[in-house]
Amino acid sequence: MFVAAFALPLLVLSICAPSSHPIIAEVFYDAVGDDTGHEFVEIFNPAAVPFALGGARLEAGDGAGAGRWSLRWSGAATDTIAAGGRFVVGGALVVPAPNALASLDLQNGPDAVRLVWPDGAVEVVGYGAHTLAEYFCGAPVVDAPSGQSLARIPDDSDVGSNAQDFRAATPSPAAANLPGRDAALIAGTLAIVPEQPAAGTPATLAGAVHNHGAELIAEREVEIAVGETLAGSETPLGSAFVDAQLAPGDTARFAIPLPGLAAGKRLLRVRARLAGDASSANDLDSLRVRIGAGPLEVTEIQFHPGNGEGEWVEVRNRAGAPLSLTDFSLSDRRGAPGQPADGSDVLAAESLAVLAQDRVAFLAHFPALDTSRVREVKPWASLNNSNDSAGVADVVTLRESDGTPCDRVPYSAAGVPAGVPLERRADGFWAPATDPLGSPLAPPRALPPLSGRFAVSPRRLLAQGSRATSIGWDLPWPRARIVVELYDLAGRRVAQVLPETEVPARGERVWSASELPPGLFVLALVARAEDGVESMTLTQPLRIEGSAP
Amino acid sequence: MSGLGVDLMWIRRARRGSVASVATPTSLRAFVLGSAALAVFATGARAQDFEAPAPAWPIGSACVLLERGLPASTPTPTLEGVVTRWHGLAALTTRAVSGALGWRSARLGVGLSQTGEPDVGWTALAMAVGAAGSNGGGALRAVARRDRTSPFRFDARGADVGVEIGGGAWISAATALHVWASAPQLWTRGAAPPLARPLEVGGALDLGDVVVWLGRAAVAGYPRGGRGEHTLGLFTGAGPLGVWLVARDQPLRGGLGVAARARVLRVAAEVESHPVLGETARMSLGLGGER
Repeated sequence: MFVAAFALPLLVLSICAPSSHPIIAEVFYDAVGDDTGHEFVEIFNPAAVPFALGGARLEAGDGAGAGRWSLRWSGAATDTIAAGGRFVVGGALVVPAPNALASLDLQNGPDAVRLVWPDGAVEVVGYGAHTLAEYFCGAPVVDAPSGQSLARIPDDSDVGSNAQDFRAATPSPAAANLPGRDAALIAGTLAIVPEQPAAGTPATLAGAVHNHGAELIAEREVEIAVGETLAGSETPLGSAFVDAQLAPGDTARFAIPLPGLAAGKRLLRVRARLAGDASSANDLDSLRVRIGAGPLEVTEIQFHPGNGEGEWVEVRNRAGAPLSLTDFSLSDRRGAPGQPADGSDVLAAESLAVLAQDRVAFLAHFPALDTSRVREVKPWASLNNSNDSAGVADVVTLRESDGTPCDRVPYSAAGVPAGVPLERRADGFWAPATDPLGSPLAPPRALPPLSGRFAVSPRRLLAQGSRATSIGWDLPWPRARIVVELYDLAGRRVAQVLPETEVPARGERVWSASELPPGLFVLALVARAEDGVESMTLTQPLRIEGSAP
Repeated sequence: MSGLGVDLMWIRRARRGSVASVATPTSLRAFVLGSAALAVFATGARAQDFEAPAPAWPIGSACVLLERGLPASTPTPTLEGVVTRWHGLAALTTRAVSGALGWRSARLGVGLSQTGEPDVGWTALAMAVGAAGSNGGGALRAVARRDRTSPFRFDARGADVGVEIGGGAWISAATALHVWASAPQLWTRGAAPPLARPLEVGGALDLGDVVVWLGRAAVAGYPRGGRGEHTLGLFTGAGPLGVWLVARDQPLRGGLGVAARARVLRVAAEVESHPVLGETARMSLGLGGER
């Protein structure tokens, strides 16, 4: 009743930013999840002299009806806002801690807050679709999405309308909404290239910086420094200046050479330095990286199961000590990481385990396996079966529970027969499994030696049956790129059996000629050594039986 | 690093680089050297059982009668043995013997051929009958094939027999202009032939010591006119010696052949190259016949 009785005369005096008074600069009323303790209202004093807040009243308005204002906070005699300073009224969970603690209990729009000064000046900030004029000034602001505040931008904006003075922004209590000079690291852009460098191998840290302020930042004004915290002290690893000029709102990428690091998990801390930077909160970021191989490695990938067993990934504990699979996550290139479910026993050193999309279906297909080493992963990252324009179908990624990379395997589906998994050979090379069903919980089957460089078996394919033949090679180089093509007896190219593929020295592919007409053909394997200098062409005849048309 | 697509440049380099020692056996190298080291250009091989090293014109070989149904203009009897190594593959070697004879305008040819190692090879028996004169001729030809079971023997296994029947004809359209057509597989039954051979047409301009010819062969699996293989050849002779060059497309390739005659004895050799596969080499020894 008391509040309602004063509503009408106050409405007459309310303006968007009363002169010679501090103004409301930011309102945060809808945190992600529970709002309790996170709400705040920031008051900004644009004047060059301090301003006493004693007697000032911060009220919340319920736009559902006329005159529904209620007090949330009132300034004490000792409360003062410094010249150009900010005074935050908010909950206990606001960071940094507010100047005055208050349970604001602000509702989502259409609602409002207002600041009533002892001298009768009133400022109203309304948000949401209002029908009552007392709850806004000029025009109300559009409701901010959950997790964002309504911020006055620039901080002293006063164009006669809440809708034009305020807009949704990342909450910045006690900091300028649009600082004069502010270089900010863009969250989520930090990356190390290569993603998992070998121990002692130089790498590059890349990221992006944003001019979050209102002023131009000249070339080489922003310095990006990267360091590592070891034994409580930070060791600098490198730094670089941003060579680009950054206009307000501009973004620039940076790359910092890193020296070779010792093997293991590393936490890199990155800082953007700019003279006169008005906001230090967005100057820091960090990145967890893995140097060298992780404790768990991917050893086999079934991305296109053909018998209803579901997708699965075989992993090996290479840590030299037992580890728990539940401490790891599995993901593809785009999906959310999945966690191994059920079972808490550890995986012994050098042991293999299977992470399955569907444990029951997998064990139904492989009933003889040790069930304790087969875990279902939820959610499962559906692995792609076809390559993108870069020749990569998907990326199988293992991470530790804190997000540190453990193993990452980009794979190509080109040339992999349908239903055949990819497996990591003893030499570290990935190739289609020598056993078409795969070898879960077992090492890859060793290929028998060939009598020559190139073999096709059988060389005669019967009219009935699968018309499948095995194409094997044994090249004189550790790795090579090969192409296998099919020609008829007249030397005309008929088909490409295997597109250009990187292969180990010894390998095999099973190929089906079911689409080809009968006849006598010549298979040509053209191989090029990894260095691209040496090459060779090997040929074998192939007879496909069939009836004359 | 190249992309995942086929890089024909490096495939071709592979053919001409260090690879040659892998794909080309020593015997073939000797053969190439014996053919005046001219194995640079070559032509693709179209026939399969009785393809002899010879220019497209004049027609005089028993093999041409059996393979294409094109009879010689004269009734001179011929006997010819041919060895072909396909694309440098020892496992794909054809050995053939053929003979032809004539009485007045009637022509008759028979031949026996064996190709490849037992798991990919076959044995073929061929016969052709026709008629020819100085201005034209035609013949029907038939070939029966059966798979082999062992090397160096003309035996067969119990697989289906394949039979093909076709024919060909040629005519002298003018004093020096000759045209021909051959459809060697008009009718096929049983096991499919190793190579499908649709219609082939050609024409030759015979200027005496120089013959130029053009040919076009349809390619199986494509609609009529959709795709063809073209041949351009040049033959020249001087006394008992003859040399010819051939160029062919799909893929582009070339070949060279040489022939020599002493009385009734004729020897010939031809080498055909390929941008990816090894060379195809042919040698023949014949008695009788034309130039």
